Amino acid sequence: MHQISTAKTFWLFFIPACIAVALIPLFTSSEYTLRVSALVIFWIGMSGCWNIMSGYTGYIDFGPVVYFGIGSYTTAICMTRFGALFLPSAILSGVVSALIALPIGIPTLRLRGAYFAIATFAFAETMKQVALEFDRTFGVKFFEGSHGITLPISGHDNMFFFYCVFAVTLAIVLVHYAIEHSKFGYGLKAIHEAEASAEIAGVNTTGVKLRAYVTSAFFLGILGGIEAYWITYITPADAFSVQKTVQMVIMTLLGGMGTFLGPIVGASFFTLLSEVLGTKFVEYYLIMVGAVIIGIILVLPSGIIGTLKARKGIRFI
Amino acid sequence: MTILECKNVSKNFGALAAVQAVSFTLNRGEILGMIGPNGAGKTTLFNCIVGIHPPSNGRVILDGTDIAGFKPYTICRMGLAKTSQIMEPFRTMSVFENVLIGALHGGQMSMKEARTETDRVIGFVGLTQHSHKPSAAISVPARRRLELARALATGAKVLLLDENMAGLNPFEIDEALELLRKIRDSGKSIVVVEHIMRAVMGISDRLIVLNYGAKIAEGTPEVVANNEDVIEAYLGRKAS
Repeated sequence: MHQISTAKTFWLFFIPACIAVALIPLFTSSEYTLRVSALVIFWIGMSGCWNIMSGYTGYIDFGPVVYFGIGSYTTAICMTRFGALFLPSAILSGVVSALIALPIGIPTLRLRGAYFAIATFAFAETMKQVALEFDRTFGVKFFEGSHGITLPISGHDNMFFFYCVFAVTLAIVLVHYAIEHSKFGYGLKAIHEAEASAEIAGVNTTGVKLRAYVTSAFFLGILGGIEAYWITYITPADAFSVQKTVQMVIMTLLGGMGTFLGPIVGASFFTLLSEVLGTKFVEYYLIMVGAVIIGIILVLPSGIIGTLKARKGIRFI
Repeated sequence: MTILECKNVSKNFGALAAVQAVSFTLNRGEILGMIGPNGAGKTTLFNCIVGIHPPSNGRVILDGTDIAGFKPYTICRMGLAKTSQIMEPFRTMSVFENVLIGALHGGQMSMKEARTETDRVIGFVGLTQHSHKPSAAISVPARRRLELARALATGAKVLLLDENMAGLNPFEIDEALELLRKIRDSGKSIVVVEHIMRAVMGISDRLIVLNYGAKIAEGTPEVVANNEDVIEAYLGRKAS
């Protein structure tokens, strides 16, 4: 009974919240508000992807940006070389990222702790170098090296991209919901708590981790595709930037790893904080953002939501 | 009759032969005690059987299937569950969720079936009043029961219990023995590793004794207790 009532309460809050967010573009005439809202939603999706894999299992992935980059390049190449439409390209980006994540995940997910972080980080850097040097090495014109690729100018407005990222992020959030209530989710959490116990309790640990890793890569690929088309210009340094990884990690840590609301709270807080401080204190805002992050981590080591959950014993956040 | 059989199971870690050609059988509905001094290879043998360390040699036959070299989760799903000497519950999860994972993953049940089964098993081991507490917040005897419940929820036919009574006082041991008999009577077959002689002698139908990785004796508790090799392994050689 307890379970059912929490689920009902959840939908009671969740559905109106989604509708409210979905209506933002209709109630604002300011392109800036729209753009910032889309950015917040984009980062909720990004950090959500990291949370699905690393937040729930405790395996710190330090190279998730690689699937974002692969997605950006897939969309860019499909649209410029093959004249494909945007939406199919973006979906294909997700599929390509997932297909690459599968053979990468199988060996790397056997590694634990820092070794997994190093391996994933190394893979991201490797792919950045491939995108940079492939053309020069093989004398072809494919990734365009450090020149980057310019995508066709979309003619779509911010509202279009707002709904694109909204749809993907909504899907990512629903995956979180499924994780909180499913066999798969309990498998992930069991791995986080005690992997050896999970294995002898019948959890196919490698299989469960791989599913989380591939799911996360799929959504990152789509988000990469959307961003590429949105900003219309990608370079290896941007698409595979370690900065993106760091932001995903920090946002999830601020919100709370392995919690449903963690990425939502963490990404909203961080993006808005950077935005507000960035407009007021153009030169010093990064110092201030850094100080706030350190402060929160010192006071709330398990993140905003993680701490609430532990103190109040609130389920489902 | 036989539900689990080990045939010449060996495990080497480099030059160290931790388990040397151990063979034994476990009959349906039996409680088999396994004893031996520290470092005799009892835990390693268990780990070989459940697939944590695949055996270097030999066969492990569960209900007619050779499972040596299978992954632990596969072995668990085939009906063989282990509890660990060092308790490793999923600490931030409730007792209910700990057991639920056994039912969902080990028992391959749907969420609905698993919830019902979890409630039943928690009631069976007597943890109902702790069901919604975090597993880190319950006492040692309760945590020992939780380990049992998680193993039972997987639907295992055979349980391997590695020092499931360590850290219990005499009164709690009696309760634990009572529970073990109840589990056996519900149709399970059990191998028990235990250092507490009163417990293991009282509950086992048969005993096997390991020393330096090899089996040195087998039989009823009385026979084993009077075996010269066993006395020597535990107490040393008689001065002549």
